[in-house]
Amino acid sequence: MAVAASAAHGHATHNPVRFNRLGLWLFFFSESILFGLLLTTRFFLEGIEREHVDQHLGLAITIILLLSSLTAFTAETAIEHNNQRVANWFLMATIVLGIIFAAGVGFEWKTAEFSRHEAFGSVFFTMTGIHAAHVVSGIGILFLVWIQLKRGKFNSKNHWPVSGSVMYWHFVDVVWVFFYPALYLVK
Amino acid sequence: MHIKHLIPAAVLWVIITAVGELLVIANLYPTVGSLEADDFDWIFRFLLAIGVPVFAFVIAAIVYSMYAFRSAKGDEMGSTIRGNGWFPRIWLIVTGGLAAFVMVFPGLTGLQKLQSDRTAYGWGDTEADVVIHATGAQFNWTFTFADGTEVNIIKGKELVLPVHQKVRFNIDSVDVVHSLWIPAFRMKIDAIPGRTTYMTVEPTVKGSYAEDQSFRVQCAELCGLDHSVMNFPIRVVEKPEFDQWLASLKTGAK
Amino acid sequence: MYAAKSVSGGIGLGLIGFYLGLGFIALLRWTLGYPEPWGGEINIIGGYIFGLIGWLMGVGMWGIWGREWFGQRTYPRKAPGWQRYFTFNTDHKVIGVQYTVTFIIVFLLAGALAMMMRLELANSGMQFLSHAQYNGTMSLHGTLMIAVAVAAVIGGIGNYAIPLLIGAEDMAFPRLNALTFWLVPPVAVALLSTPFLGGMETGWTAYPPLSVTTNSAQIMFDLGIITFGLTSILGGLNFLVTIMFMRAPGLSWGRLPIFVWAIFATSWIALLYTQGFAVALLLIALDRVAGMAFFNSTAGGDPLLYQHVFWFYSHPAVYIMVLPGFGMALEIIAHFSRKPLFAYRYAVGAFLGILGLSGVVWAHHMFTAGIPNYLHGPFLVATELISVPTGLVFLSALGTIWMGKLWLKTPMLFALAVIFNFGCGGVTGIFLADVPTDIHLQDTYFVVAHFHYTIVGGEIFGLFAGIYYYFPKITGRMYNETLGKLQFWWMFIAFNVTFFTMHLPGVQGMNRRIADYQSGLDTVNLIVSLSGLFLGASFILFVYNMINSWIRGPLAGDNPWQVRTLEWQVSSPPPLENFPTPPVVQGHPYDYGVPGSVHGVFPGQKLGGVPVVGGGGGQ
Ligand code: HEA
Ligand code: HEA
Ligand code: CUA
Ligand SMILES: [Cu+2]
Repeated sequence: MAVAASAAHGHATHNPVRFNRLGLWLFFFSESILFGLLLTTRFFLEGIEREHVDQHLGLAITIILLLSSLTAFTAETAIEHNNQRVANWFLMATIVLGIIFAAGVGFEWKTAEFSRHEAFGSVFFTMTGIHAAHVVSGIGILFLVWIQLKRGKFNSKNHWPVSGSVMYWHFVDVVWVFFYPALYLVK
Repeated sequence: MHIKHLIPAAVLWVIITAVGELLVIANLYPTVGSLEADDFDWIFRFLLAIGVPVFAFVIAAIVYSMYAFRSAKGDEMGSTIRGNGWFPRIWLIVTGGLAAFVMVFPGLTGLQKLQSDRTAYGWGDTEADVVIHATGAQFNWTFTFADGTEVNIIKGKELVLPVHQKVRFNIDSVDVVHSLWIPAFRMKIDAIPGRTTYMTVEPTVKGSYAEDQSFRVQCAELCGLDHSVMNFPIRVVEKPEFDQWLASLKTGAK
Repeated sequence: MYAAKSVSGGIGLGLIGFYLGLGFIALLRWTLGYPEPWGGEINIIGGYIFGLIGWLMGVGMWGIWGREWFGQRTYPRKAPGWQRYFTFNTDHKVIGVQYTVTFIIVFLLAGALAMMMRLELANSGMQFLSHAQYNGTMSLHGTLMIAVAVAAVIGGIGNYAIPLLIGAEDMAFPRLNALTFWLVPPVAVALLSTPFLGGMETGWTAYPPLSVTTNSAQIMFDLGIITFGLTSILGGLNFLVTIMFMRAPGLSWGRLPIFVWAIFATSWIALLYTQGFAVALLLIALDRVAGMAFFNSTAGGDPLLYQHVFWFYSHPAVYIMVLPGFGMALEIIAHFSRKPLFAYRYAVGAFLGILGLSGVVWAHHMFTAGIPNYLHGPFLVATELISVPTGLVFLSALGTIWMGKLWLKTPMLFALAVIFNFGCGGVTGIFLADVPTDIHLQDTYFVVAHFHYTIVGGEIFGLFAGIYYYFPKITGRMYNETLGKLQFWWMFIAFNVTFFTMHLPGVQGMNRRIADYQSGLDTVNLIVSLSGLFLGASFILFVYNMINSWIRGPLAGDNPWQVRTLEWQVSSPPPLENFPTPPVVQGHPYDYGVPGSVHGVFPGQKLGGVPVVGGGGGQ
């Protein structure tokens, strides 16, 4: 993503990866408020009430998303150890798992027994929708990174795009860890 | 060295404060139509009395410094006090104390009065002498009395209230957010679709919109095109006259 | 012509994107079998998003940044001279100027709308605007001005000055910085398109259910403001990383110029709270285009939800507006008093205290909204608590001018006016924070007067202070001092007459956002209108002075104010990478008159470590 000014010129002390890492963390901070407010909305409107949702599907996609974090982590560790082949495969696996998750959400939308024209439906579709939008953008970013990984652009010293996109993926995962109970498990 | 400047600055502060406090005496308010209005005016004046010296302090410090410490050329240096000593602490204590004071005194105490013996504000349906259900709609008000009599822009054309009686408004809205405000009574609360809000007033003087424009129900929340003109005249009369008026509306309906 | 290429590329791709987006959504809806695939707001949303991307890529983001995402080489467009202001330029000084000029233009436009309002309000009855036109004018004035207030000082002066003040060669993420600026013109286009869609009806607060049922201008407002929120967040993020990681060696937190501290606190607020506005408007957009029920009380929604989410951002936002103004004022006051900033630590504490408290007071805008009784007390207390840290800003400012040597140049006058005006605006805030008085004053002209005192008095005056202060650094030329002073007194007096008088109709029962009022309030409104028009005229002087001086003002020299901070130790205007030799900081920035004190030195300079001594310093 963004690359620091100092990459081009100037002070040797400036470390662009350090900049990017802090920048990304701040971005997560900001996004947390977005997701926090959506959670608040959910409890403000519905208390701890909940309509019927497909529990098996919910559990399945949750497990898939958690697994994808694991594969993403493996890919990052691999590139840190200069193992391009493993990194390549596990990043691909992450993308596939991500796509399965998104498809699962789509299926849930199609089969949902409530409508978006009433409060719980509004909350459910909005929360899963915004989260899924993050998943999809994550998939897009991972894909762009994957292409460059395949071309052999990254190694143990230079792999910020891999680390950054994996961090983003973990973040989106953590958000789901809060959303899942709020939408599927409460009460 | 400070003293030389402190005295004239303090004098300036006192003068500005004295002039400013004229605002406290001045009658800036619309007609005092209810007990609640009395409370409002009193608290407003009290806050003015405290606020004026605070603002006057700022003015005096700036004006005096601009006069006494000005320098035509940029190459003179000021004194090197840094303000790490006792003064900031005193300032913190004084402003903190002042803030705590206003918080408690007209703030929380006034709030308690507003919410307890008057009611979101005040007394319950049972203690009220007159209960009026007010409904906001784009862009009129409808008032329904306990016996089912309705008053609106077509029927009745004005809201009549009895003086010295406890009046409670239960308020809701059929479309968007409105707000029921009566300037003469200094009371207002929003009308929100899907909820009932309430407020209570006790009118203390007789009056009517024809003579005094602050006797009106005014919509105070932007509600669309004709928000500007979403108001409704009020007339406050003696109890018997009120009863008569209510009865006349009823016969009129038949 | 780089400038023409950039701008026309942006507009061209933007338009293409817009129609692509419209069509794309229509196609999507057609395949899904919707009856009318064309005519909805969802199409506008698609068009806006595609258009936005097209615009950004067209103005130059593609070449400088976008190619990198696909593993290709990037190439910057190196435009010379004035043309660089019209390209996707990553130099923070260019971006600062772009921001300042853009927002001054928006300010004048929105001010012209205010003039129309004041003409309409000069007398009761309807003069020349219809109710719908008045609502549209009022809403547009408020929205544009809020945008100006949120971004002008931090985006304009902040971008220009922060890297210079901390001895850095640029911001941490220069391309992100350029992106935040180039997102602004589409916002302006979106907002300015609203009159053609029927005009906004809801004021800048956009309360539902009205904002759900009103005309399509609302959707442009939503899109524009969400984009604007994005620029706020990204800008804040950029400032935070810059200030945390790019300070010159020796520039510890305790030596940071106070303006940097102000931007630091502001950036946190922008980063953390702006999402609230985005969420609030997103929910409205969903209610509108997807028929959702967040605010539809008959289907389980609740209009109050919006107010909570909205004010959760919009109260902190008022501190986004005013903190940079305070920072600018304190900075200038210290330099022009030729004295160390009084109680520096307390001033820093003030900013951090406001940052801490800003998130817990939002419901003071909802005292009359029928919130539960138990919420009134805590929010009253929290709100009045904020006056304590705010008071520390006054401590610092007043302590600094006391026993100083005040050099009363135009920037200094404006800086002092910030303190003066905010004294009044802050005190009236206390009246509003007090529930028993707010019950009457809420949504009256008393509130209007309060927030013009705080925003215009605190922030716009701060903006002008900053512009006059940095004018010689930015342009290398000096503005006309006589005209500057004239504008100051003109603006200051007219401002105070206008808005001080405005409290009165509020108390007497004139509510806000109305085109027509009770005839009893004629006189006082006429006074307000007349002095309001007088106020508007003062800006003609400003525009003339700026343009004329930029073209033919006398050369200013490197350090006309004889200030100690780093930006004044380089040439005016500064070279591309700011400091030919990186500075090292050895002391406090404000130690005027302290013998032997030094702020920054340039060890690599040819002459060899010439210390920059207090007061002087221009080479
Ligand atoms: C820059 C913008 C800005 C700033 C800084 C402030 C600052 C404050 N505001 Fe204001 N406010 C607005 C902009 C701002 N406001 C806007 C735009 C609205 C209307 C929104 C809308 O509806 O459209 C509004 C509305 C508003 C309301 C809601 C009114 C209503 O609609 O009913 C309230 C209520 O509590 C309020 C209170 C305060 C308080 C207590 C402060 C405090 O921060 C002030 C603190 C400062 C001081 C008190 C002065 C200095 C202190 C001293 C010298 C120390 C000693 C003093 C004491 C101890 C008292 N404001
Ligand atoms: C930065 C913030 C800012 C600023 C600077 C101003 C500036 C002014 N405002 Fe504004 N105002 C708001 C923010 C601001 N306002 C907000 C947030 C609202 C609430 C909206 C809402 O309720 O939703 C509001 C509402 C508001 C109202 C209440 C409307 C209503 O409730 O019905 C009024 C009424 O008098 C008013 C008046 C003025 C005036 C006279 C000025 C003057 O200071 C303006 C000075 C004049 C100029 C700057 C004009 C210069 C122009 C020229 C010289 C012409 C040449 C230029 C061109 C042709 C482009 N404002
Ligand atoms: Cu109803 Cu305004
Ligand atoms: Cu507020």
